Amino acid sequence: MQALAKSDQHGKDDILLELDDVYMFFGRVGALAGISLKVKRGHIHSIIGPNGAGKTVMMNCINGLYHPQKGNIYFKGEDIGKLKPYRRAKLGIARTFQKVEVFGGMTVLDNIRLGRHVHLKSGIVGGALYVGKTAREEIEHREFIEQEIIDLLEIEYIRDKPVGMLPYGLQKRVELGRALALRPELLILDEPLAGLNLEEVEDMARFILDVNEEKRWKVTCILVEHDMGVVMDLSDRVFVLNFGNKIIDGTPEEVQSNPEVIKAYLGEEDMYATRR
Amino acid sequence: MSTTFLPCGDYHENYKQDHAWWQTKFIKLKMILLFAVLFVGIPLCADSYWLSVCNLVGYTVLGALGVQLLIGFCGQLTLGHAAFIAVGAYTSTLLVLEFPWPKFLLDLGLAYPVSIIVAAIAAGMWSVLFGLPSAKVKGFYLILTTMAAQFITVDFVITQYVSQIGGRGQAFSLPPGTIKVGPWIIDSNLKVYLMMLALVILCVAIITNLLRSRVGRAWIAIRDNDISAEVMGINVVKYKLFAFFVAGFIGGIAGAFWISNLAAISPEHFPWFWSLWLVGVILIGGAGSIHGAIFGSVFMVVVMELLQLAVIPLADTYPKLLMDFLFIKEAAFGLAICIFLIFEPNGLAYRWWQVKNYFNLWPFSY
Repeated sequence: MQALAKSDQHGKDDILLELDDVYMFFGRVGALAGISLKVKRGHIHSIIGPNGAGKTVMMNCINGLYHPQKGNIYFKGEDIGKLKPYRRAKLGIARTFQKVEVFGGMTVLDNIRLGRHVHLKSGIVGGALYVGKTAREEIEHREFIEQEIIDLLEIEYIRDKPVGMLPYGLQKRVELGRALALRPELLILDEPLAGLNLEEVEDMARFILDVNEEKRWKVTCILVEHDMGVVMDLSDRVFVLNFGNKIIDGTPEEVQSNPEVIKAYLGEEDMYATRR
Repeated sequence: MSTTFLPCGDYHENYKQDHAWWQTKFIKLKMILLFAVLFVGIPLCADSYWLSVCNLVGYTVLGALGVQLLIGFCGQLTLGHAAFIAVGAYTSTLLVLEFPWPKFLLDLGLAYPVSIIVAAIAAGMWSVLFGLPSAKVKGFYLILTTMAAQFITVDFVITQYVSQIGGRGQAFSLPPGTIKVGPWIIDSNLKVYLMMLALVILCVAIITNLLRSRVGRAWIAIRDNDISAEVMGINVVKYKLFAFFVAGFIGGIAGAFWISNLAAISPEHFPWFWSLWLVGVILIGGAGSIHGAIFGSVFMVVVMELLQLAVIPLADTYPKLLMDFLFIKEAAFGLAICIFLIFEPNGLAYRWWQVKNYFNLWPFSY
């Protein structure tokens, strides 16, 4: 029901990302065995599955850290299966990591500025001189960062602190800010809520909804998460993965009532196995 | 370590102020004072001997800046930087001595300045060549490939082939009057000193500017986390090679500058130990800070000079001390690094930063 309302809101139902029969092996271990996935523009598409199911491998294939042995990946209709990660970033794919991978020695502001890398233009000579265009460009992008990202994520008070010194929850937030600075069309969130306390989880869920729904952002999200309550609340569609195989790809309601999912992933226990 | 706190009561009102070099009146005053001391104070007070010490400091700073860029900012361990300094020195020497300069350039005294630029670019390109392995090799293994740069460049190419140019076989002598900048012939320590100041300020400005723009941020990102740097859209290999180019470029300037201070150059001026020395300088000064390269150079050179001054009076009683001074110097170098790694692992620059913040925040401690 919710999903329907949303797709109307977005007008068109075009496919932003498509995985077509993707195989990924490590030696003889099949991490992904023929995965197909279609992510619609404007959706929050969650990927769930037990530990070791291949969720992170799938994310690494989408943003280019791994290159699948077989199968194609299309982004906006273009085959990106052979591109390096930095080329995919230029096309508009950003991600956050399961274990925070921020630049510890840089300040929060510099981390987010680095996210603007693909939008900045100055090269070695321009940077060395730092006059005219380079200086103007830095100020323009600083305005964007302050108004759109630092304000959205409520991290004004730490903008000059080195990220390595910040608590884990804030590092996760900075990492999200850095990914947003890229102005992505597709945002991959690999366990954005892991290790956060309840308040931080609620904040993070709010940020994800904000960037997904606000007119200025309209970012399509792929969400890998173990917190079923959040997943079921936020997602338009849920994809269930188990040992490299797809179990079901459907709306949260369909997934919750699927007996195979309950058996394979959630066990006999309570469906809402969350910390709430 | 990257930012200092503003003193109580100072606020920025726009982003331009926040991006500025010297952000408060106090800092501007301080920098003017520093320049006054450097350009007027030292030339007036120091005698020729201490000026030559200052020149050695400047040479070390220029060399250490490149190493600092590679190790401290881009995370590419290098142990062959003397090779690129040598390339710069030899390129500049050969151009000045052998190149058929047009008459008007010689009259204007532009031959040497032009040769510095060419030398810097040549050293940069040479450095990129030996930076290529960094595309595949990381960390400690990179030390070996950069050491190869040292041995291939200095011990093989320069000693065996470049030195044969003009049939000299060993050293190139630089007759008095060959090094000429504009109307001035660089023939005294004072003139070398002033040229050194200009070059050091230029290079520090280049690196500082790069570090606060797109390229420098990419370098630091590669140092801190190369995988997420690539995911954020940075072409890691390209930016590593940029770092090698700029480091080699500055090394080339260092080498081309140093020939103004020498009567002859030979491969022995650029031993492998000099590469190691430069790494020691940035360890003592503090990796990842431009202040670090400068403080480390000042510290190392001045300590070695003081050591020499201390040894000379002792030589009457212990004549062997003077004979073995080279070994004493190396032992002191090793000892200094050990002491710093144990007691001040972040280097002199970190201590300086702490002191500065203490006074900026005074009378409060937060």
